[in-house]
Amino acid sequence: MTKKVFLIKAAELRPGCARKIDIEGGDLALFNLEGKFYATSNLCTHATASLADGEIVGGDCVACPVHFGEFHIPTGQAMSFPCTVDLRTYKVIEEGGDIYADLDEESEEAASAI
Amino acid sequence: MCKNEKPINFKPPRQKAALDDLDQYVNMAEGRMSRKVFWERDIYEQELEKIFARVWLFLGHVSQIPKAGDYVTTSMGEDDVLVVRQKDGAIKAFLNTCPHRGNRVCFSEVGNARGFICNYHGWSFGIDGALRGMHESGAYEASGFDKSQHGLHEVAQVDSYKGLIFGTLDPAAPPLKEYLGDFAWYLDTLLDMDGEGTEFIGGCVRSVMKCNWKFGAENFAGDVMHAGWTHDSGAKAMLGGAVPELDKCAGDSYHVNVNGHGWEFNLDKVGNSATFGDKEVRRYIHEIQPKVAERLGHTRSMMIGSISSATVFPNMSFLPGQNTFRVWQPRGPDEIELHTWTLVNKSAPEEIKERYRRGTMITFSPSGVFEMDDGENFEYSTRSNRGRVTREQDLFLGLGIGTRIEHPELPGNVFQGQINEANQRAYYQRWLDFMKAESWDELPQR
Repeated sequence: MTKKVFLIKAAELRPGCARKIDIEGGDLALFNLEGKFYATSNLCTHATASLADGEIVGGDCVACPVHFGEFHIPTGQAMSFPCTVDLRTYKVIEEGGDIYADLDEESEEAASAI
Repeated sequence: MCKNEKPINFKPPRQKAALDDLDQYVNMAEGRMSRKVFWERDIYEQELEKIFARVWLFLGHVSQIPKAGDYVTTSMGEDDVLVVRQKDGAIKAFLNTCPHRGNRVCFSEVGNARGFICNYHGWSFGIDGALRGMHESGAYEASGFDKSQHGLHEVAQVDSYKGLIFGTLDPAAPPLKEYLGDFAWYLDTLLDMDGEGTEFIGGCVRSVMKCNWKFGAENFAGDVMHAGWTHDSGAKAMLGGAVPELDKCAGDSYHVNVNGHGWEFNLDKVGNSATFGDKEVRRYIHEIQPKVAERLGHTRSMMIGSISSATVFPNMSFLPGQNTFRVWQPRGPDEIELHTWTLVNKSAPEEIKERYRRGTMITFSPSGVFEMDDGENFEYSTRSNRGRVTREQDLFLGLGIGTRIEHPELPGNVFQGQINEANQRAYYQRWLDFMKAESWDELPQR
């Protein structure tokens, strides 16, 4: 089963940036880390906050804009206080200049993480 | 900030009526005043409300917070505040307290932050003071909590004059420029020597003195007289000789004041700078003076390092030439926290800036030769008033009554001769004006 949805054109999100994208059943956060795209759930697992408004730190983590807890973007793992619950991740598919997410699959990094 | 953009989340203090019969404390026509203003708690509490909660107070220098998110913490009276550079380059200030349970939200003196999170319940504020979120946010949302109403309490007005940042907790206070008035003409002597601006170097030195806050402020407003006596031994060590007897060259020296702000000076160009005992600093002053004369005129160019001192009412003072800037922060009627910085011209060579930093440390820091002399005087001038009978005895401030002159160039109220108490009288007159006035409209122009 795949549930592939179109997100944006790759050219619309520059490296080092994030964007909130509406999908059915909530928002996801799309990140461009040096040209590679990653998608996670957008709502911080700690308190109400949009992670797409956070700051990308250390190259591959996002700091929540409210309490500055951090998540590892490729795997969704909660990295620091006060975050303890991991983010949901989504498999990102690039086709031509288009970015899609498969809402039924997690990212490859999350799937292979212990 | 426009008057109609009043912060949502800010209540001014409840105005208590002025104390009865305030004129008994200060009689400047006769040059005498009561010691009670240096000791009594009810007078002090009124000062916090009638002066510190209303006037423009010094908060810092723009060079301390160049980038968005840069902040300094300080206080306005006994109200702790956080001064933060915004993303659009503006400067805002907030009470440094969480609107939830009141805990301090920022504990460091200076830094850069993405925002400020209260240690107690995890309320998180943006650098713009807005409440961004809380720990356990779902529970607040379930009870209909409106975050937009619970940001940090914003200081009513913040503005700067040539690098110096000031704020007032009173939305009704007149603009900073009006508050400084003609005193700005004198401030340019230090703040605008070459059009390239100034900066603070080396951080803030904080110390505690067991004295009333007004003793430091009035001393810098006008009291050069103490230098030849109090600082005799220090001057001999630093200068190799005594402080000159300044009354013997009174023709070229002045007290000037504007609405309680005071500057005493002569035109010797380099007298204060010489106390560093550093000939490179003296050489620097001599070198820049002709250029300053082109920009500001001969008179002010001769004030850049001269024997002089100044206070911006009520509690920010500085010494031209030594370039120590300071705030006498009140901590009760008998204690202050003294915050000091070193100001230099941005254009000065790095080596000269370092010499200023060292110079202020050896003269006007907690271990400085002159500051130690002053601290002893200020402390005992305060402490003797614990005596119930002593406290009833008035103090004399009448030196130089009748020395007022008209001067073709100098703005403000001008008095001949820097051995004078004209500025101290103007300072306490302004103190009395504020203590009596229920509104800004009631304040006379002085």
